[in-house]
Amino acid sequence: MGLVCRLLEEHGIATVYVATGRDLTALVKPPRALFVNHPMGNNFGRAGDTATQTDIVRAALAMIDSAERGGELIDYPTTWSEKFSFAPGGKAIAATS
Amino acid sequence: MKSIRYVDALNDHYTAMGNPPYRWTVNESAPLHRLDKPLAECTVSLLTSGGVSQCSRPAFNADARNDHRLDAIDRDVNATDFQIHDSYYDHSDADNDINCIFPVERLRELAALGEIGKVSDRLWSGFMGRIYNRSKVLEESGPAFAAALREDGVDILLAAPS
Repeated sequence: MGLVCRLLEEHGIATVYVATGRDLTALVKPPRALFVNHPMGNNFGRAGDTATQTDIVRAALAMIDSAERGGELIDYPTTWSEKFSFAPGGKAIAATS
Repeated sequence: MKSIRYVDALNDHYTAMGNPPYRWTVNESAPLHRLDKPLAECTVSLLTSGGVSQCSRPAFNADARNDHRLDAIDRDVNATDFQIHDSYYDHSDADNDINCIFPVERLRELAALGEIGKVSDRLWSGFMGRIYNRSKVLEESGPAFAAALREDGVDILLAAPS
């Protein structure tokens, strides 16, 4: 999807990529990326947590104006409150802290 | 906690699934299109790659490879009218609240507040992971997507990979 964002930017559409994989994002280098240290599948937060969902959407949209060069990667300041792991097909929450 | 090293984890997982080694894209720079109008005047669209489809449409193939399917979703969609089929991540939260990966309701609220100009007529689900034939993205599915976004007057795409 980072590849798609790069292509769209060349077609005159501004993009923001809201990622849960920091290392993957740094490799692909989409034009603007907000890294959210949440489990994959929770890019915008937990079910029902509308305040966090809105805050992450706002933080992503703020990068439209703030990014000064392509490939900018910003870390969303709040991280997930529990330990989690990569768990394809299973539960990402490995343990509670 | 430290961010997860997905490159290593996915390499192991893909190999265990019998997939060929994945060649990760490495880019040293990136394009940047700057907008000449404020956010409050912009049309914003959404894209998820998390195997999300409306209940009336076929499910995505949860183990898809090279799937260039791209569904258009109406802006006024009911936020409970979704099914998720993707075996590569935990979507139990998103099954209960699609806004976890596809914040359609949050975006509509920001439009109502006047923080963005409007939500685009069509929102999008597709470009699932494990696309090995990247030239097809660059030459076919990507440009077709760009044309659809332009048709809708989209200024900004919020993209959330899963």
